[in-house]
Amino acid sequence: MALSEWVRESRKYILGTIILVLVLAFIPFIIGFDQYLLLILSTAAIFAVFVVAWNIIGGYAGQLDLGAFAYIALGGIVAAQLLVVYNITPWIGMFVGAGVSAVLAAAIGYPTFRFGIKEVWYALLTAALVVILNNIFHLPEVLGSLDHYLPPANGWYYLKFPVYENIYWFILAMLAIVVFINLWVSKSKVGYYLRAIREDELAAEALGIDVRKYKLEALVLYAAILGFMGYVYIVIAGTYSYHTFDSPHSIAIAIMGIIGGLGSIAGALTSAITLKVVEEYLRASIGATIPGIHLLIYGLLLIIIGIFKPDGLAGIYESLKKRRTSGRKKISGGGNP
Amino acid sequence: MSGGEEILKVENVVKRFGGITAVNRVSFNVRKGEILGLIGPNGAGKTTLFNCITGVYRPEEGRIVFLGEDITGLQPHVIARKGIVRTWQKVRPFKKMTVLDTVTVGALLRTNSVTEAKRKAEDILKFIEFPEDKFEVMGKEITLIEHKLVDLARAIATEPTLLLLDEVAAGLRPNEMERLASILKKVNKERNLTMIVVEHVMRFVMGLSQRMIVMHEGEKIAEGTPQEIANNPRVIEAYLGTKPL
Repeated sequence: MALSEWVRESRKYILGTIILVLVLAFIPFIIGFDQYLLLILSTAAIFAVFVVAWNIIGGYAGQLDLGAFAYIALGGIVAAQLLVVYNITPWIGMFVGAGVSAVLAAAIGYPTFRFGIKEVWYALLTAALVVILNNIFHLPEVLGSLDHYLPPANGWYYLKFPVYENIYWFILAMLAIVVFINLWVSKSKVGYYLRAIREDELAAEALGIDVRKYKLEALVLYAAILGFMGYVYIVIAGTYSYHTFDSPHSIAIAIMGIIGGLGSIAGALTSAITLKVVEEYLRASIGATIPGIHLLIYGLLLIIIGIFKPDGLAGIYESLKKRRTSGRKKISGGGNP
Repeated sequence: MSGGEEILKVENVVKRFGGITAVNRVSFNVRKGEILGLIGPNGAGKTTLFNCITGVYRPEEGRIVFLGEDITGLQPHVIARKGIVRTWQKVRPFKKMTVLDTVTVGALLRTNSVTEAKRKAEDILKFIEFPEDKFEVMGKEITLIEHKLVDLARAIATEPTLLLLDEVAAGLRPNEMERLASILKKVNKERNLTMIVVEHVMRFVMGLSQRMIVMHEGEKIAEGTPQEIANNPRVIEAYLGTKPL
């Protein structure tokens, strides 16, 4: 798709994204650069990036991927090790990390899609990937049991600062870029093909769609974005170790994507930011007395959405939009009941 | 009507599932521009034969030659690109996509431009007389006959040389069948599209096809004009059973 065509087609959404990111970027001034709140905001924003990236494989292509942190941790650890061992700036290391994660995704995805592994089996396989990598990186020859630290130095060379607002703004810029990638995918031939695959793989293939190729492209793109952001995640987390291959958080990303509504960018953004902020708030306020309360709330939300709005938050937007337009039709008096 | 070049040759195709031979040494040809009817009772192997031609199954024996090229065992999307596209006995709609987007997916096989594909999809939907006020309706919100039309439209949008229709009339009311038959005739004539029509409803397929093949228990038992088929004793036996003593 030509760039000019893309801009014309998605002008409304591009403008919306820019406004949203600018508003979010302004928040630090309102909260007076409160570092604790900025940490929560940064975490929420980076999870929004992850969920919007997940939307490509989970939302458009319809593959229930539970392996987000396999790619986040791998890409992040590669960039971190390059910095720690060879003093290579993460501005290069993040691209290397993205590349390594993309290669891993291709190596896993090719046989997976070749042998038609899908639905629950795909979910299991991707969930297992995180656990396997967790165990491999636990080996003494790899990272061992200890926590690893980034160099104490700060500055743009290290993409690491004594305060959180810089990294927060960097994440917001990335968020805009990842949303634009999503919009581009959504409006292009790839997006149409991925949605067709999600709706009915057999029918899609009979229309001449190379199902394996398009699924693999979606997976590799998703993994590359996650791999790129991995280093930033480590900067926020402060340390990295085999624990960075984090199963519960991988599943949380898929849950946020589902609650947002498959294939909806706005839904993914809303659910990631609200759920993450609520989670952090709950953890801070009552997490000490009732550990795991945020998981309980995730579960409840999933049940409620599953019963009342299987299309997620996006489904709520849609039905609101419909109600408005059908209301208008009634007023103009046209159409059959 | 007859005498067109042979675009598809099915030669001695065999497909087994475990101990059951679903398709047993079936051979036939399809000529350019014709509508070929393929009939037979339940379990005769019609759909299995379709699945062999479109690459869903790989036949154990025999060859399938399309436009002079052996396509036996190729992947479904490769066969679709070469020009054989099918519709489904049980409709397989893209439920969370609009009608127009669904047909656009088909049109994207021959172009990379979404705008161009959308325009083409609109033309095809208009051509098959799909109600224009439902172009933007989601796939889950339309009726059965509309599903069949969308299925047909997205197949035509891929610009096939040969269209395989698997029981399109199943589940339709008689007036809907007539509407569908007239649309299929129009597609066949004005777009010069060759078709194989698998069908249960005899009246529908008799009126539509110029030539017919009858399958029974995996084998081809008759071939000829609809008139010849209707009077063939083996066909009558397959459909009605043997005469009581």
